[in-house]
Amino acid sequence: MKYPPGTVRALLESPHVSEATRAALQERLDAPPYQPQFFDADTYRLLGAVCARLLPQPDRPAGAIDLPAGIDERLHSGKADGWRYDALPPDREAYRLGLGGIQQAAQAQFGREFAALAAAEQDAVLQAVQAGTAPGDLWLKVDAPRFFEELLAEATILYYSHPLAQEEIGYVGMADLPAWTRIGLDTREDREPEEVN
Amino acid sequence: MPDEEELLEEGVVSPVQPDIQDPLLRKLLKDEPAAADTPQPQPAPLPEPGDEVDCVVIGTGAGGAPLLARLAMAGLKVVALEAGPRHAPRRDFATDEQAQAFLFWNDERLSAGKDPLSFGNNNSGTGVGGSTLHYTAYTPRVQPDDLRLRTEFGVGQDWPLGYDDLAPYYDELEWLLGISGPSPYPWGPARQRGYPLPPLPLNGAAQLMQRACEKLGIRTSPAANAAVSARYYQEGIGWREACTNRGFCQAGCSNGAKASMDVTFIPLAEAHGAEVRADCFVTEIERDAQGRVTGVVYQQHGQTRRQRCRTLFLCAGAVETPRLLLLNKLALSSGHVGRNLMAHPGLQLWGTFDEMVRPYKGIPGGLISEDTHRPRDADFAGGYLLQSIGVMPVTFASQVARGRGLWGAGLREYLQQYNHVAGINILGDCLPHADNYLELSDEKDSRGLPKPRVYFTNQENEQRMNAHAERTMRRIWEAAGARDIWTFPRSAHVIGTCRMGRSGDDAVVDADGRCFDVPNLYICDNSVFPSALSVNPALTIMALSLRTADRFLEQQQRRDS
Ligand SMILES: Cc1cc2nc3c(=O)[nH]c(=O)nc-3n(C[C@H](O)[C@H](O)[C@H](O)COP(=O)(O)OP(=O)(O)OC[C@H]3O[C@@H](n4cnc5c(N)ncnc54)[C@H](O)[C@@H]3O)c2cc1C
Ligand code: SF4
Repeated sequence: MKYPPGTVRALLESPHVSEATRAALQERLDAPPYQPQFFDADTYRLLGAVCARLLPQPDRPAGAIDLPAGIDERLHSGKADGWRYDALPPDREAYRLGLGGIQQAAQAQFGREFAALAAAEQDAVLQAVQAGTAPGDLWLKVDAPRFFEELLAEATILYYSHPLAQEEIGYVGMADLPAWTRIGLDTREDREPEEVN
Repeated sequence: MPDEEELLEEGVVSPVQPDIQDPLLRKLLKDEPAAADTPQPQPAPLPEPGDEVDCVVIGTGAGGAPLLARLAMAGLKVVALEAGPRHAPRRDFATDEQAQAFLFWNDERLSAGKDPLSFGNNNSGTGVGGSTLHYTAYTPRVQPDDLRLRTEFGVGQDWPLGYDDLAPYYDELEWLLGISGPSPYPWGPARQRGYPLPPLPLNGAAQLMQRACEKLGIRTSPAANAAVSARYYQEGIGWREACTNRGFCQAGCSNGAKASMDVTFIPLAEAHGAEVRADCFVTEIERDAQGRVTGVVYQQHGQTRRQRCRTLFLCAGAVETPRLLLLNKLALSSGHVGRNLMAHPGLQLWGTFDEMVRPYKGIPGGLISEDTHRPRDADFAGGYLLQSIGVMPVTFASQVARGRGLWGAGLREYLQQYNHVAGINILGDCLPHADNYLELSDEKDSRGLPKPRVYFTNQENEQRMNAHAERTMRRIWEAAGARDIWTFPRSAHVIGTCRMGRSGDDAVVDADGRCFDVPNLYICDNSVFPSALSVNPALTIMALSLRTADRFLEQQQRRDS
């Protein structure tokens, strides 16, 4: 850990965070366990296994930030982010085809389901998808590198939107009240954490 | 948090049930219940066409809001129809990127070509104020030669108007918006007066760029920003509080320091009697037998309504404006609606520094250099400017994922140094090309309207400019002491899809913004630019907006007298 744990939670209790900001972050911190609504149970487990390689969280054995939940919820609600690669089918279809393709590639490369593979093998499958060299006919229907980029971007956005991930990288921009006055190089305000080595 | 109604609206603008192309999957999915309710437009009777107003303005962004105020101040009865909601920034805007996603135009657009453009948070907003709700508020003026690209280089287009036509509007805007900047400004023609407010303080990235450029002999200056560096008062608008350096301009300013339209021209317009209707998505533009616009039909909270008008100002942005014209088969005789689509080369370059940067603080666009406006060793037409950039964490993380392709432990490790990261970027001219255009696709959105498909591929000129810029920025960042330097290829802003020109043969509107095909239809937004310009567009869009209103009013006066 490069920044002291507990900084963000403490800031959320302080007057440096606006009501709207606190509400948004607290909701993410307090999110109850999630049940998938869009994916079936098997596909959802597969998505979980994939996310665990994209953003591994060995440091949070009990309370990993739940990335598949955010993806499932968005696909279920039908929300979009304003654009899509024309090379990809609509999001729901792309996710089903892409996850199916990852499963196919795992079978073709290692003869087992993705979730049953060792971490290094899983990484090898995902590398092949990212590079566009993964085996499997589903990749004829969905552009592998573009799908991988979209999946990775969504998982990354979900991860770094979480207050604990923001704490991990020393981001405390949420505590912007009443103002930032020390904004230059190597300057710090009291409420900003220092790195610990 | 946005209130219930805004969230609902957000749901409405999203494609709730995307069309499925794959036959097998379509079958599979058909068995599933619909995910969310799409409010169906009701066949309610349209209001009787008695309530004709002088002008309807579609869209309240940089193109729509200034002219709305101008027309209202001239005593005309004007109504603005805005697809997005009206926000209460002080109460609702969180300092959180995900919570602010409602600011963006989240209807799905299809991005095609070799360099597909990203929309949503990279490109366009919605709500009363349009994309100015989330612009970075860089407000440089053009330089005169920006408007004469063809004369100077033999490529691209000249504008049908010159710098002197825009200068008085720039001046007016700088004082009305309360622009903070250096006086005198180091580049471009001498000005009648300086900026009304001193520049905003420099953050870490700006200091690094300043230090390195000084070593290399590149001139820099604190940028001109439409965020007030001190409390500021304007008649009809009132007091605006000073910028608190919260660095969140691209996700909405919660204290009114940033001169977005909702805290400047919109209140001004309303103080003079303009009516601004939020949550009104225009779908139809109605005409009489002569082809003159008679009014518009729009959807509000699931109801279909009509508003009749004498003159229509279409200011829906460079994607929705041509989309509406194509949907309505209107003003198409030149064949240029949707064509000449340009996007600013916006290459970013990032590096890691020993110093603590903490890139979330301070106005993101702190420092500028226009020394690359016409580089001596250029092998391309036009030029670019250099800017330092601050960055919010989620935006940065997603760029690292997309741009560097990092994942796994490597991604988390890299982002651990977020506080030591700083970036610079360019904003450069772009040439129109036959391969870059907008069309209506066969895929429908949740309203049942065809999604726009946008083709974009960087051509030779853009590629050369990006290569030149990468060399320049790399030199600067190395001189600043950066390690682990990488670039993020990026294009910003959609431009030129209903361009202005001297003749209806190769342009959609004339220099006054008036449609060649339809005498009572005006267009003003980023779509009318004949060339992309080597500066950020918003100030020039606003200048054109005021000018369009003035030219229209002069013409009305001539007709009446
Ligand atoms: C992240 C980001 C940073 C930026 N930073 C800068 C900067 O620093 N400096 C700068 O100069 N520019 C910047 N820009 C660009 C600037 O915001 C835009 O160029 C400018 O706002 C465009 O103005 P416009 O009038 O063309 O469209 P917009 O401001 O997008 O306004 C169009 C409006 O029309 C509405 N609308 C669309 N269709 C309909 C319909 N059918 N019915 C009713 N209403 C409709 C939309 O909801 C929207 O409110 C930035 C943009 C982004 C995304
Ligand atoms: S940096 Fe200033 S202008 Fe930008 S969001 Fe913060 S207070 Fe508003």
